[in-house]
Formats: sequence, C-alpha cells, structure tokens
Amino acid sequence: MNTPLILPDVALAPLLPIAITLLGAIAATLLGFFLPRRAITLISMVSLVLSGVSMVTLWNGGLTSFGGSLQADNVALSIGLIILLGSLMTLLVTYDSAARAKLAFPEFDAMLMYAVTGTLLIAFSGDLVTMLIGLEVMSLSGYVIATLQDSRRAEEAGMKYFLLGAVGSAILIYGIALVYGATGTLSYVGIRDATAGLQVQNVGLLVVGALLLLCGFGFKVALAPFHQWTPDVYGGAPTSVGLFLSTVVKVAAFAGMLRVFGGAMQNVPAWAGVLQVLIVATIVVGNLGALFQTNFKRLMAYSAVAHTGFLALALLGNPATGGPALTYYLLVYTLMTAGTLAVVSALQRTEAAFTLDDMRGLFYRHPAYAVALAVCLGSLAGLPPFAGFMGKYLAFQAAFQAGYVGLTIIAAMGSVAALIYYLRPAMLMFMPDRTPAREYPGERTPTTAAVVIGVVGVTVLGILPNLAYGLVANPAIWTVLAGR
Amino acid sequence: MIHFFIFLPVLASLLIFLVPVRWREEFAGAAAGLTLAGGLWSWSVGGLSAYSINWIPALGVTYSVQMDGVSLLLGIVTAFMTLIAIIYAGKRIPNPGTMLSLILMMETGLLGIYAARDLVLFYVFFEDALIPALLMLAIYGKAHRMAALIKFAAYTLFGSLLMLISIIGVKYYGGSPTFALADLQAHPVTGTVQTWLFLGFLAAMAVKLPLFPMHAWLPDFHAQNHDSGVADVMGTLYKVGAYGLFRFGVILFPDAMLELRPILMALAAFTALYAAWIAFSQTDWKRLLAYAGLSHMGLVGLGIFSMNETAMIGALFLLAFQNVYTGALFLAAGMLQERVGSLSTKVGGIMTQAGALSGLTMTLWFASIAVPGLAGFIGEFSILLGAYQVSPWLAFLAGLSTIAAAAYALTAYQTTYWQVRPAGAVLAHDLRDLDWLILGAPVAVAIFFGIYSGPALALVQPVVRAWMNGLGGGV
Repeated sequence: MNTPLILPDVALAPLLPIAITLLGAIAATLLGFFLPRRAITLISMVSLVLSGVSMVTLWNGGLTSFGGSLQADNVALSIGLIILLGSLMTLLVTYDSAARAKLAFPEFDAMLMYAVTGTLLIAFSGDLVTMLIGLEVMSLSGYVIATLQDSRRAEEAGMKYFLLGAVGSAILIYGIALVYGATGTLSYVGIRDATAGLQVQNVGLLVVGALLLLCGFGFKVALAPFHQWTPDVYGGAPTSVGLFLSTVVKVAAFAGMLRVFGGAMQNVPAWAGVLQVLIVATIVVGNLGALFQTNFKRLMAYSAVAHTGFLALALLGNPATGGPALTYYLLVYTLMTAGTLAVVSALQRTEAAFTLDDMRGLFYRHPAYAVALAVCLGSLAGLPPFAGFMGKYLAFQAAFQAGYVGLTIIAAMGSVAALIYYLRPAMLMFMPDRTPAREYPGERTPTTAAVVIGVVGVTVLGILPNLAYGLVANPAIWTVLAGR
Repeated sequence: MIHFFIFLPVLASLLIFLVPVRWREEFAGAAAGLTLAGGLWSWSVGGLSAYSINWIPALGVTYSVQMDGVSLLLGIVTAFMTLIAIIYAGKRIPNPGTMLSLILMMETGLLGIYAARDLVLFYVFFEDALIPALLMLAIYGKAHRMAALIKFAAYTLFGSLLMLISIIGVKYYGGSPTFALADLQAHPVTGTVQTWLFLGFLAAMAVKLPLFPMHAWLPDFHAQNHDSGVADVMGTLYKVGAYGLFRFGVILFPDAMLELRPILMALAAFTALYAAWIAFSQTDWKRLLAYAGLSHMGLVGLGIFSMNETAMIGALFLLAFQNVYTGALFLAAGMLQERVGSLSTKVGGIMTQAGALSGLTMTLWFASIAVPGLAGFIGEFSILLGAYQVSPWLAFLAGLSTIAAAAYALTAYQTTYWQVRPAGAVLAHDLRDLDWLILGAPVAVAIFFGIYSGPALALVQPVVRAWMNGLGGGV
C-alpha cells in the first residue's frame, strides 16, 4: 500500500520578506567575527531594504503559505513596511551613536535583526501559533538588546522588561490555550468561522480566553494598567533601544492585536467593552503621567503610553475604517517618535539624555535640530499641518463612527493635556538663553539622516495624507483580516 | 490666483531665510504688499470663485476654497494689517527675520481660515495659525510667557478638538459624501443631535470669539507678548470665532442657534459689559486693549447670535474694522512704549512732546468707541439696531458697554497723553518717517469706511441676505 506523500503547502514567495531579514540576522551573527561593526550595520540595512523591495513586489498579490498560516496580504505588507521603516531608522541612529552608547558590537545588530524577523512574523501571521512564535522571537531579542549595554540602568531596564514581558507572554499563551479549547482551532479563519453567530459550545471559555489575550497584548503595547514597565524601560535603556522598542515593537504588537481582535475575534463579545475601559485608563494615565516628567526620555515614554491609547481607539472601530486608520497612525507614530528620539540621540551627552531645562534655548545653539524636534513634537501633539493630526483625526473618526462618542470626547480631552506637555519642551527650545552649549558636538550624519526621514515624513504625509492613506484605504482588504 | 493669495505668505516665510539678513525686511514687506495687492485685485474683479479638488478621497476631505463677499473683506483686512505689522516689526525689532517669517506664516493660516469651504480644511488652517502665534510668544515674549502660552494653547485646543469631533459627527450623522460645505448643507443634521454638534463647534468658536467664560487666555496672551504690539495685531486678527459661527454655524446648525439664541445673546452681552468693566481698572495699555477688544467682540457675538439680518451685517462689518483700529492701537501702544519705556496708563503729558502720535492715537480710539464718522460706529449701531428687534433688554445692556468704552478709553488716554509730563522724564519724540504710515494708513481706512461704508457693506450684505432668506426670510 502506497499512500501518496502529501506535500505541505509551502510557497516561498510570501515568505521572502521574512526570510531576507532572517538571512540578514544570520549574516550579522556570523560575519560579526570577521567584519567591523559598521559594516554589519550596513549589511543589515541592505537586507532591510531588500526585504522592503520584496514586499513591494508582493503588493496586491494576496499570497498565502502553509495553508494560510502565513499570509502576505496588503495588511501584512503595509504594516511590514512600517516595521522596516522603523528598523531602518533605528539602524541609522545606531550607526554612529552605538559607539557612544557602548553598544558597538555586532551582536547588537544581530539581535535587532532577529527582533525584526519576529515582528514581521506577527504581521504576516495567519494563526495564533505563528503569531506567538513571532512575538516570542521579538520579545526575547528585545530583552537582550535592552540589557546589552554594560550599565546598571540598562540592566535594570532589561530585567524589568524581561520579568513583566514574560508574565505578559504567559498570560497570552494561556489565552491562546483557552481559545483553542473553546473553538478547536488555532487559525484565525477557523476561529472567526467558529465564533460567527456564536455557535461555540463554550462561550465562557472563549470570552475568558479573549480577555487573557487582551491582557497579554496589553503588556506588549503598554495599555494601562499593564504599562508600568514602560517609563523605566524606555527611559533606562539606551536611546536607540528605546526608539526601537517604542516604535517597531509596538507596531508589531498592534499588528497582532489587529489580526486577532479585528480579524479572528471580531464576533466575540466582551473584549471591546474591556478594551474601552483600558483605553480610558491608558489615555488618562499616560497623559497625566507625562505632565509631571522632568526628563525628556521619560516624558517620551509616557507619551508612548498615551499614544497607545489613541492607537487602540482605531482598534475599536469597524475594521473597514479602523484598519486603515490604525495603519496610517502607526506609520506616522513611527516617523514622529523615531524622529524625536533620533534628535535626542544626536544631542545627548549621556544615555540619561536631558532634562526639560537643558532644552532651553536649543534653537539658538542648534537651530536645525530644534526646528526638527519642534516639528516632531507638534506632530505628536496632533497639530496640523503635520501628519500627527491626520492620524489622530482618523483614530477619532473610527471610534466615533463605531458609536464610541463618549470615549472620543475623553480622548480629545487627553489630547489637550498632551498638547501641554509637548508644548513645554517645544517652546522652551525657542526661549532665548545664553548658557554655553552642552550638547554632543561630534559627527552624527547617519542619525541626522534618520531625523530628516522623520521630519520630511510627517510634513509630507501631513500635507498630502493620501500618499499613504490612499494605499491602504480600500475597505476590502480590511474585511478579511483573518484570511479567506 | 486664489492659491497665490493664500499661499504666497507662507512661501515667503520659508524663503526669507535664504535672503541676506539686510534685505529681509524689504523681502517680507514686498511679499505682504503683493498679497494685499492680490486681495485688492480680487476685489476689483468681484471676488475669486470657488475651487475644489479632492484632498483625501477615501475620507471625503476636499480642498475647497473661495474668496468672495465676507471672506474677501476679512481677507483684505488681514492682508492690510499684516503689511502694517510687518513694516513696524521691520522698523522696531532688531534682526527681525524670525518675527517676519512667523507673521507671514500666520497670514497664510488666517487667509486660509477665510477661504476654506471644507470643514476639515477649515480646521487645518485654524490650527495652522496657532503655531506661529505660539512661537512669537515663545521667542519674543516677556518673563511669564510660558504660563500665558500654555493657557492660550490649551484653551484653543480644548475648543478645537471638541470642534473636530463635531466635524466628524456632522458628516457622519448627516450622511454627506464629503466635508465640503455645499455637500454638508445638502445633507443637514436635524434635531437634538444638531444641538450637541453645535455645542462642540461652539466650544472652539467661543474660545476664538472670545466669549465669556472662554476668554481667560486673552489678557495674558496680550500682556506677555512683545512690547511692540506686532504679535498682538496678529492675535487680534486670529479672533475668527465670529466668522466661523457665521460661515459654518448659521448654515449647518440653524435650529440649534435659534434654540440657544437667548442664552448666547445674554452671554455675548455680558461679555461686552463685563470686559468693559474690567478694562476700566487696567493700568497697562495692552491689558486695557485686550479687554477693550474683548468688549467689542462681545458686541460682534451679540450681532451674530441674534440671527437678525441688520445685526449680522453690523457684526461682520465691526469684526473687519475693529481688526484695523484695535490692531493699530496695539501698535500705537508699542510706539508709546518705544518712547517712554513703559506701557503704563499713567505716564502723563505725551501730548506736549509727541503731538502727532497722540492725535492719531486719539482718532483710533474714537473709532474704537464708535464715534460717528468713523468705521466703528456703523458696525456697533447696526448690531444694536438689529439686536433690539430680537431682545430689547439685552441690546440695552450691551449698549451700555459703548458708554463704558468711552469712559475707560478716555480716562486712560487722559492720564497718558494729557496731564503733565513728570519732571526729568525722557523726551518723547514724535512720529518719524514710517511711523506716519503705520498709524496713518489705519486711520485713513477707519475714516474712509466710516464716511463711505458702501463698498465694504456691498461685500457683506448680499451674503447675509441670501442666508437669511434661506432660513425663511430673516427670522
């Protein structure tokens, strides 16, 4: 008896973007023994660009692999491109600041590339296991790069990140197990079909599973009350690491939430109500916390928490409007946060960065950096003509149209608080001051390049939002988040 | 042409940094002059017709602009006062490149506000003007500017974010395909929802009208700005609340405005009287001017909220021309400070040494307190005439503010310009070269349109008439 060998459905094309970054990571690991660190960083950047090119060629292809476990639809590709952009900006910043940050070893680039591979895997995931693997690859590498700098602060930051991150992962895995128990499947499509019309036998199990998943994701994206690690980690880790964690890692975690809650679990009850409460808490805690910060990096950490709240508003919306809103906002968020932290990285003398008082008169010492930072802060505050306004507007609109009017008003009031804490450093920079310069004076061209990407990005996307929004606006790609 | 008119200033504000330092004043002046010329040319051809193009098609956001009627009048006034402010800034502020750039940047925001015929576009321009205003205060302000700045920004954003939610709601509940005013008008929202959306919209406009109790940012904003008064001119021009209510409020929320009319008129009348009362006890010219401006804006608000044709025409006329003379008065206060080093209302005796400065200042004050023959009178009289038909008592109360205006203005004027110059005080020199133009041109405008108001009214009247007819023949 010969049973024919059934070959698994392995298509290599949709794997390509992930495979290229993985190859980049392996190359960084191996070549690190032979080449100087900057050469490794260049190789990593080249592999990111190649991965981006492969994504562009896959655009509109809608390919899947492994029977739907991996999907390279436009959702995955657009978020993947945002991830690559954030990673590229991180690498540009580390190219020259790593030496100052005592991070100048090839292992750093290797771990970073592994993390990028993990984040892409989340964005491309078609079932919960793929998502989990991506999340763990990303998180483990993240713990390492947060700790890699030889300093007490970084070790403390990395330790906190690891402990709380591990708790988050554990909760997430437990949630996956319960969802599997309730529906008998791990694939997004399977869960969606099994929960359509709530024909599941064990709704209680499903709901608990969904809420545990929400908690787990809450740790990763820093939704209050699971955000406590954020200020210490973003503030304590080296600036370039903080940049990576607050942009790329957050984008990936949101991609996972979008797939799971916007796609697989869209019919499951209760999670939206709980998410609503978490969003209110996040907006209040993040914005009020940021009001009282005196260190700029910690301020940015709280601002990252606050933005999590605004981003999550888009998740509540109907996927046809919420999906593009979230994607656009993630892109803008990446550009403006990375731009801001790149300026910090260019100017700081130590990894403790600077206090708000140190920023007084920056415009008269470093006019270009000050204007760039002001543009990024204005965008973070949501002032037009910068892209942050469009992001906020889209998120508000998505939540409003889904009927969350009260929540939108709370978010608007949170934005007023946000304006105050962004405005204070932004305006301090323009106040005349005659103290001598205390910023880092040396060469930092690649970091400046990252700043330019951020500033040009938020300005152009603010004036012509359709350049990016037009690509993702098609509602059809957002109604099949779980896959076909 | 319309894009040239709106965006020429912002273009110049960026290019100015490429111009050699010694030519920057001339460059900014030329740009502002060209913009004003563009405005006057538009007037001569009867306004610039509508232009509309998709901005973000997937969201129904359009770039729709038009410059005619009321918008054109306010646009020309803005261009005119910007030019005056630039001339004074170039003369007064050492190395003024940054200030000139900010003034021009703000001009584009203001012209955009008047030109926008799409709600999202209106919001974008509305906030655009905020950034240069904040930077002017941050760079050129006085010791306590940070508090003033944060108050100003927080009030503005508090209002405008509520307005943003209203904007989202107007399109969503009305089911309009785009945010363009014409489409929104064709898909009106009715009932209680309209009232709630109007309240959100009102929040932003009340901050920028300003209307009690949303006015608290105003005195600090003016008091902390640069002594020259240049930034105050731009701040005065930024009081676009009444225009926003007229352009969008009356069309999109007519029922809500009628329903809330008694409350809003009472608030406006109270603002006028209350501000006049407080102005009376001010000893700093800028704070006094801030409250005087607030009092006049209370009258403007009364005119708009009364939903009466005559009052509304008067309100828009007053809005346009108080920008001219209040702005010029801020510059006059700046000139006073330049000569005696103080903005106090108690310096005394300036008239004896600087006769022309004192005379022109007095003429501007006469315009401000609505002496017949000057532009202020026509606006205030029409407002009170129209408001009287709606609510005699509120019109009477608000009318008291015009009497109070004479009291506070003339008292302060007396203790500054008349009386005796203290012994040993510095010699206050009189107007020199460009000073004549800076104060003379606004005075000329105030006199011309006070005597011959026809051309300006011709821009306002048809628009108001058409809308009132749309509401059922002037409510």
